[in-house]
Amino acid sequence: MRACSGHLPETKLLVRRLICVPVHPLHRASVRMLDDLILGMAGAGGDGVVSAGESLLNAASSEGYHALMTKSFGSQIRGGESSCRVRLSTKKVLNPGGALDVMVALNWEDFFKFGAELPLSVNTVLIYEEKAGPPPDTLKARGVIPKEMVSVPINELTKKSAGSDKAKTSVVLGLLSGWFGIPSAGIERGLQKKFGSKGEGLLEANQKALATGIEYAKGHPLAAPHELARPEASAGSKLLCDGNDMCAAGALFAGVKFFGGYPITPSTEVMQTLSKEIWKYGGAVLQCEDEIAGIGSAVGASFAGRKSMTATSGPGMDLKTEILGLATIAELPLVILNVQRGGPSTGLPTKAEQSDLLQAAFSGHGDVLRPVLAPTDVEDTFRITVEAFNVAEEFQTPVIILSDQEIAQRKEAVDQIDTSRFSLVERKVPTEAELAEKPYARFALTESGISPISHPGLKGGTYLAAGIEHNEKGDPTSGGVMHAKMNDKRFRKLEPLKKRADLFEQHGNPQAPLGLIAWGSTAGVAREAFLLAKKQGHDVKLLVPYLLNPVAEAVYQGFFESLKHGLLVELSHQGQLYRLLRMYTDVPKGLRSLCRSGANPFQPTELVTRLIELRGLPS
Amino acid sequence: MTAPPLQAKDYKSELKPIWCPGCGDFGVLQGLYRALASIGRPPHEVAFISGIGCSSRIPGYTTAYGFNTVHGRSLPIAQGVKLSNPELLVVVAGGDGDGFSIGGGHVPHAVRRNMDLTYLVMDNQVYGLTKGQLSPTSPKGLETVTSPLGSLEDPINPLLYMLAYGCGFVAQATPADMPGMAALIEDAIRYPGFSFVNIQSPCVTFGEEDQQLKAHKTKLKPLESLGHDPTDQLAAMDLARAYGTELYTGVFYKNPKPPPTYEALVKLRQAEQAKKARPRDRVLDAYLQK
Repeated sequence: MRACSGHLPETKLLVRRLICVPVHPLHRASVRMLDDLILGMAGAGGDGVVSAGESLLNAASSEGYHALMTKSFGSQIRGGESSCRVRLSTKKVLNPGGALDVMVALNWEDFFKFGAELPLSVNTVLIYEEKAGPPPDTLKARGVIPKEMVSVPINELTKKSAGSDKAKTSVVLGLLSGWFGIPSAGIERGLQKKFGSKGEGLLEANQKALATGIEYAKGHPLAAPHELARPEASAGSKLLCDGNDMCAAGALFAGVKFFGGYPITPSTEVMQTLSKEIWKYGGAVLQCEDEIAGIGSAVGASFAGRKSMTATSGPGMDLKTEILGLATIAELPLVILNVQRGGPSTGLPTKAEQSDLLQAAFSGHGDVLRPVLAPTDVEDTFRITVEAFNVAEEFQTPVIILSDQEIAQRKEAVDQIDTSRFSLVERKVPTEAELAEKPYARFALTESGISPISHPGLKGGTYLAAGIEHNEKGDPTSGGVMHAKMNDKRFRKLEPLKKRADLFEQHGNPQAPLGLIAWGSTAGVAREAFLLAKKQGHDVKLLVPYLLNPVAEAVYQGFFESLKHGLLVELSHQGQLYRLLRMYTDVPKGLRSLCRSGANPFQPTELVTRLIELRGLPS
Repeated sequence: MTAPPLQAKDYKSELKPIWCPGCGDFGVLQGLYRALASIGRPPHEVAFISGIGCSSRIPGYTTAYGFNTVHGRSLPIAQGVKLSNPELLVVVAGGDGDGFSIGGGHVPHAVRRNMDLTYLVMDNQVYGLTKGQLSPTSPKGLETVTSPLGSLEDPINPLLYMLAYGCGFVAQATPADMPGMAALIEDAIRYPGFSFVNIQSPCVTFGEEDQQLKAHKTKLKPLESLGHDPTDQLAAMDLARAYGTELYTGVFYKNPKPPPTYEALVKLRQAEQAKKARPRDRVLDAYLQK
């Protein structure tokens, strides 16, 4: 091993190796105990770093750790460079984290292609393939010298142990296990599962490679040893999935019977999962000829009385806009998932951004009040999807779920969800007896604004649904008086939504002078920043809205009351929630918009620094 | 006590059509009432979906469940309805602009999915609701407000399109022959799969003289009288080439061996997959770490 270290000179390491002290590295002094470990890996397409990341995620979560993985690829459809980040923790993982504790580079060129996604710090241990040669000057140019840089003959170890270079990542997993105390039993089980059915040879080769990696690590201790703390014993079996999985599961739980859609990154997995599952529950998926037909068929299904949904991302949302308006005026329940990516136009198809909020709230012509809900992580995507169906059914309206690429595609090990705490709402359908009693008025001007909705097949409930303005019965009208009444009805019925304080999360001292507000994937960063700031002794509070539209004025005003300084953090150039709040609430001067374009997520420490800086400014 | 058989008037709503006096669509509406009465499904079991245009107002004039949607999207919306409740009788209607211009992209897909839908296009070769512009079936050279110097483009041929897409039932009708049209609509609805009837329904306000009902009466040539075999797809395509010059009425093509419909295949799949269903409150178990 060639090692460069900021702590121990090379000669000392050599000496220690020469005298061959058979001591477990962890028994030596200054082992850095970690309850949180952030790893990165980068390599060429065929190296399998993403698959290694998944193995690590599986292994750690099966041992009871909380874990989160994000992956990133070059723009090639197959091959090309790929990378992943894995964050392991004994506590709930709130976001993918900032600078890496450990980085494994299988070659330099591919590593440098992921600059922003794989940031190093002075605390990073950088492990690299010996054959790749010493770190090029590019690393120095970045101005960060990792704590320790370790070259390992990964290729050579793989060939020696496994007989080919196919098991490279098993060596890497062994190294990580040996150096950072990630339990190898879980990794071993993962290999069994992955290769068990592919013939003895392959499994055995990978097992040997893993053992070689572990052994190598033990024989070559790090200058600054680390050990990941054991998870709490009570941690049970976890769910391992991404946000798109959770959305599909939430929809099935809510009773979705129809999905119409068109493939688009990064939402397609929802359609893929439902294409496998929905039939089991008497439903159907229609992969349509375009985005318009996707939402069109879903509106048709809702007209026919079924819970239905569509899913898309930015460009698809643009195309669906006209039919969104149709669902609004015909008062048809419908759930639309928009997994946000960078925009406008094709923009950044594989990166997260929070720049579709204004579109979600306002796209389309006419006076429209459209409910918009946003999950903040993998786990709550389930709840928010169920809520979206409930809101759609109760208020007979299209509802947009505003997810984003990070939440949708990052894989997380999360605690199991107790589904018994969710209740399901069904639309108010008139009974045949009620329909026999008096002529049916589909759009009856009720006090709540909600009128019973029939569907084809129901005797006595026939009516005309239409995009054209209608009277109470549903007959077309172009009269201004009725149009005003119907607009008022469509807005009035959503009033109760604004009082749903349970669609907000608040932490900290309610009277705190400092505050953070964040939504979507940025909320996970804000949660960690809030904990950090509190730990540093700051009197701070946090507001996370799941309901973005209609704007719950009272909730925000309550939060603003004690606020001297605050940040509304979001990943968009404009700061779209900040803009929206300014339309509907009196935003205090001390609340500032902290926003920037997508594909460049915030870091918790950065938010704390910015928040503390604010205290010098006038409030 | 059995209910008396349904009559054409049972499908007629109280709404008064907005169409111009003498519009061909009045005739289409009458023909549809007759066809529905002959089939006998009660109005609440009928879903009638349309797009935007003069003819797309038609669902409101029936007592069925109607959905007058947005321009060009009636077919995907109707597919969502049919898949959600295959027991319904689903009729889709609209004009030539709605179906073959703005909605043209949906047509081949509706055809290839082969749901049991009946698609009635009221083809008048002009945009009526917006007051007389070119339509996708307007003849080349036609002078309209958007082609004051004459149209420079060839019309599309709806019949040939539908046949080429593989539609199992393709017919053409005109309200000038009311009994023939009513019978064709009925035949189309009874066909177990996607069926298409191109109805030459004249626009009295913006249409050409030779496209009016009076002209149709002298021009129309029933395919039956030509000895056409409606199971001969190639012969049908050959005859369909005369769209725009000849007014053939009747069935161009009817698949003698209709394949299973999409919804029938869905039903089979649902039945087969139902066995594998987890209880709905256990859906997350699919992601449970083993």
